[in-house]
Amino acid sequence: MENEKLKKLLNEAAEQVSEPVRPGLNEDIKHQIPHRLLRHKGGWNTINIIIDLRMSKLTAAAVIIITMILLASFFGGRDSMGDGIFQDSMLLIRYWSRGRGAYSSVVSAGRSKYEHLLNRGEDVAWYGDSIDPKDNNAVLMQRKLPDGKYGVMFVDGRERQVNAEELIKLLTPMLQKKTK
Amino acid sequence: MEQRANFAHPVSERQNHNIKKEHSAQRQDTLAARLRAGDRTAAAELVDVYYQQIYLYMRRLGHDRQVSEDLTQESFLNAWYNIGQLRDGRALNSWLYRIAGNVSRLYWRRHKGKEAAGIEDIDVPDSSDAQWDKAGHREQLEQLKNAVARLPIKLRQAVVLHYMQQLTIAEAAEAAGVRPGTFKSRLNRALKALRKRVI
Repeated sequence: MENEKLKKLLNEAAEQVSEPVRPGLNEDIKHQIPHRLLRHKGGWNTINIIIDLRMSKLTAAAVIIITMILLASFFGGRDSMGDGIFQDSMLLIRYWSRGRGAYSSVVSAGRSKYEHLLNRGEDVAWYGDSIDPKDNNAVLMQRKLPDGKYGVMFVDGRERQVNAEELIKLLTPMLQKKTK
Repeated sequence: MEQRANFAHPVSERQNHNIKKEHSAQRQDTLAARLRAGDRTAAAELVDVYYQQIYLYMRRLGHDRQVSEDLTQESFLNAWYNIGQLRDGRALNSWLYRIAGNVSRLYWRRHKGKEAAGIEDIDVPDSSDAQWDKAGHREQLEQLKNAVARLPIKLRQAVVLHYMQQLTIAEAAEAAGVRPGTFKSRLNRALKALRKRVI
């Protein structure tokens, strides 16, 4: 078909193709007119940014955690990996992942914390490579605290402060399994 | 020089049309100025002038009746909150069509699996015009409507804006958010695709 004929046909279609609009639609729209039509600040050129992101809950949780850590490290300096933020992050991971993949999320978050503490020169030990993920009392890592106690992080994300004897009790079954 | 999708009018009618168009442009400028000043009655007038056009635009883009109504309302709602973008010298209808186009685009993005209703579903009123009684012509028109509905969204938008909503190339390009050259290229691609599909 020739272009001109096609254009003519499209024009005809436009004239013919229409349907009545529901009566009252204009009134419905008018009801939504705000009481004050406000412009943006005079002289400012504004833009609208519309972002439509689709991601899994786990990815979203990871993004939130990373953002929180980055913000905290920016505003909070050296103590950015302090327990408050870390605990919040663990809570978020546990909430969003709800079981599936929670283990790997906790281990990777724990590993990040371990590496951070190690870089800070703290006395810290990592057991995450050889633990049983089904055992909720498996110790992911431990670090020595200034008061002589030990901070222990479990595989389900819990953290506790224990003395030397308790630490030995916790680590013994794990180490026995490993030697078998 | 701006092109208008108008082939059927004799010269005298076209002159008449141009005069009307000029009046319409002046009216648009006045309306735009009142909107920028925050005049609520101008907002109501905008609705009366454009709500049918925006509704049909949505229908021709492939939304069903209910969705088209919702999207028309959403378009105007967005318009109220984007009056700051209505700058001097910017055509009122391009601004509104652009908002409506964005609303439609966002809808398609949120409902990726949904099929376009297609303009073939729009009720065609009975006409006593002998031309429309010709079976061949009617068939061609049906083929064309089906073909337009199957075009990719950007090409369909170009065809609908220029040939069905009767916007000039410059207005339609602004409404589509592209340069006139890009818009013409889209139109050419659309016409090429339609030519293949319509016998």
